[in-house]
Amino acid sequence: MMAALRQVGVLVDVTRCVGCNKCVDACGTANGLGEASHIPQQAPDGLSAERWLAIVESPEGGYVRKSCRHCLDAACVSACPVGAMTQTPEGVVLYDGEKCMGCRYCMMACPFGIPRYQWDSSAPLIRKCTLCYERLVEGRLPACVEACPEQALTFGERSELLAIAHERLEQAPSKYLPKVYGEFEVGGSALLYISNVPLDFLGFNGAPGEEAYPELTWEWLGKVPAVTIGAAALMTGLFWIIGRRMQADAARHAQTSQSSEES
Amino acid sequence: MNNTLRTLIKDGLWAIVFAGTVAAVIRFASGLGAGSGLNDVTPWGLWIAFKLGFVALAGGGFTLAAVVYIFHIENYRPILRRAILMALLGYGSFIVSLIVDLGLPWHVYMPIISWQHYSVMFEIAWCVMLYFSVLALEFSPAILEHPWFKHPRFQKILHWLHKLTLPLVIAGIVLSTLHQSSLGSLFLIMPHRVHPLWYSPWLPYLFFTSAIAAGMMALVVEGFIIERWFKRGMHFDLLGTLGAWVALPLGLYLILRLSDLFLRGVLPGVLDGSWQSTLFLAEILIGGILPLVLLASQKIRESREGLLTSATLIIAGIISQRMSLSMFTMRQSTGLSYFPSVAETLIAFAIPAAAILIYLFFAENLALLDRENPTRALDTSTSIDRLAFANQDTPGRAIFARRSGLATFVIALMLPTMLNLTVTGGDRSVNPVQAARGWETLLINGNDSGYVVRFPHSEHQERLTDELGTKEAACTTCHHLNHPDDEATSCSECHTDYYQSSSIFDHPHHQQALGGNEGCTECHTDEHLRQSPEICKDCHETMVAQEGQRTFNSFALSYTDAMHGRCLECHGQKATELNKPELELCGTCHTSDQGEVNQVGGLSGN
Repeated sequence: MMAALRQVGVLVDVTRCVGCNKCVDACGTANGLGEASHIPQQAPDGLSAERWLAIVESPEGGYVRKSCRHCLDAACVSACPVGAMTQTPEGVVLYDGEKCMGCRYCMMACPFGIPRYQWDSSAPLIRKCTLCYERLVEGRLPACVEACPEQALTFGERSELLAIAHERLEQAPSKYLPKVYGEFEVGGSALLYISNVPLDFLGFNGAPGEEAYPELTWEWLGKVPAVTIGAAALMTGLFWIIGRRMQADAARHAQTSQSSEES
Repeated sequence: MNNTLRTLIKDGLWAIVFAGTVAAVIRFASGLGAGSGLNDVTPWGLWIAFKLGFVALAGGGFTLAAVVYIFHIENYRPILRRAILMALLGYGSFIVSLIVDLGLPWHVYMPIISWQHYSVMFEIAWCVMLYFSVLALEFSPAILEHPWFKHPRFQKILHWLHKLTLPLVIAGIVLSTLHQSSLGSLFLIMPHRVHPLWYSPWLPYLFFTSAIAAGMMALVVEGFIIERWFKRGMHFDLLGTLGAWVALPLGLYLILRLSDLFLRGVLPGVLDGSWQSTLFLAEILIGGILPLVLLASQKIRESREGLLTSATLIIAGIISQRMSLSMFTMRQSTGLSYFPSVAETLIAFAIPAAAILIYLFFAENLALLDRENPTRALDTSTSIDRLAFANQDTPGRAIFARRSGLATFVIALMLPTMLNLTVTGGDRSVNPVQAARGWETLLINGNDSGYVVRFPHSEHQERLTDELGTKEAACTTCHHLNHPDDEATSCSECHTDYYQSSSIFDHPHHQQALGGNEGCTECHTDEHLRQSPEICKDCHETMVAQEGQRTFNSFALSYTDAMHGRCLECHGQKATELNKPELELCGTCHTSDQGEVNQVGGLSGN
């Protein structure tokens, strides 16, 4: 990997968020998501094809950002059969509708249940946060980070953000839970959270473990070439051996019946 | 089984196929949202569950091919061709179902040109593609043996196909091994969705062994049905031995499944009394261990009822495993729940119905039922009932008329559903704004909750007049779009919904004023072009929709957004200018005093 490119990320400080939804509005405007993106509480769990970012209330109170986590080793990227989900060198997970065939495996695989689908379209696409990649390329901030009036969102290099996060945890240990969410879960993600309330509810069904999801399938997929060659060789071998034996048996049988006739 | 019953069953299958076709039209015309119950939280449903079932029942194809060609057990040859056809139709159903399920089915070729070998789905795509081709080649001799293909050219192809048999068989076995197991690995990446009693890191092995068992037992059940339908021998002796051999894959499957649960410590969950645990127990005990015990007895195995019962139980158990894993016990997240829609269900059942009809067509017309004596199946004078297309009592034209009548009936029956399904969407809740009450101080019930913002209107008016010099300038600071002859239009006249934006342009009003439909051309200079009101464009350039746009550009923000927008901007400035930071705080306007509101009476409507 090229050394010049940085692994970027966004640090979310849940304690600073006041739930004003300015980030959601900015996201809708920047990504041209249309009128619907400005309507609050459109989908029961916050996100929809027109709403890539939502501020949801945690069960314990507090406003929490819900959006694509941009996992370092993303389940959706590994699940996509046609490479429509890709990861840029900066770690941003992007989607290419030109390749997608609409199997929705990425939606099933995402441990946070993030990707959304255009269910009302007859040519539907997967929709999700792009971390405003086009703006990043131009050297601008993601729209949500730029819009946040409370500095609850910080954009930067992931390693630097981790340092900032741990610094804040150290400075005010009573204010935060002693954990940076996104540092290790499913192998780490570009989105990092520090919070005063547990964020396990953001997982599709509770917090996922620390193992990166693609490894779950690679355990099997890695064996495919061996299984292919093994099965082919085994079948050819069995065919040949059993065939030979049967020929030999038949010959012996013919011989014995011949000899019994002779006697 | 008599001819009337056969015709009725066929009519029923055709009816399902017609209904499914109508449902598929809805699904492709209006998208997956209208054609299925799938949603963002449950993007996979009934179609996936059925697909897993189709492929499991197709498992007999590669199993028997291995038995006959690789293990040289020739006495199974008479049922081999049936097994291949079952597999071919199973995979055909899988592919048709996939086309319906895919959001962009015209991109279905993408796995060929855009490789992503970390994806299980990619492997499955390739295996299905290749194995379906292999099956088609394996089955094509049955078609080429038909008298229609007497031409030497076809016979040459047939000759080559026979020579290719062994490589095809080996390819078929390898591909099946890979992707029967991969259908299980598909779910390895979703431990957060699959129920713990069905999830296992050994899913590939479970799927592979159970597919062999299900495929073998599908051949047994198929044999019984064929015997009933065609009054033909079904090689009971052979099927009976399948009943003995099935203990191997089925036993292995059960041992693997239970020992995995035990090793991972999930087994106690079996007894927690939830409906999932009951389903699991039924699946294992009734659909696995019970038939295994039954088949262990030679007496039961060799009785017709015993064999049929055991085979049916095994199939039910394995289909239950596939459907529970992928649908019934899939864990939901917050919010949306999933239930298959009518259209979705019809499509799901239409596909196997069509497969059965194709099977019957082949069985009636090809040398399928008795490999040893192919001509017998083609000979109308034997006991086989040649139905439908070749039945002497009902000529082809009558059958065609019957089916068209059936199709018309089914489509007419489904029309109301169709219309209902295609006219969905856009069903958002509306929260109409109530105008602010009060005089010098306005009570703005912005959240429609009774907690009002007390807005000192005259105070703002006076302050702004002092600051800006004229009263007019003061008013237009906030009242930005005045109606003609109106000093100050109230906010709620345009910002009509608390949370949603709404259109400012009152099209019905203009339409009426200009004389109804006569007046269109007053604005729309070209009546065939919606986007041509040149007159309006002169002044309201941004208000008129651009070419290809369906709504007017200019819409009023939601009431809440509009209020916040106007107030916050100014308050923010003043907070800095006057060094009064409290001006910017929410609590300055949003007081938590509800008592005074109720004094106003009827303000919040409660």
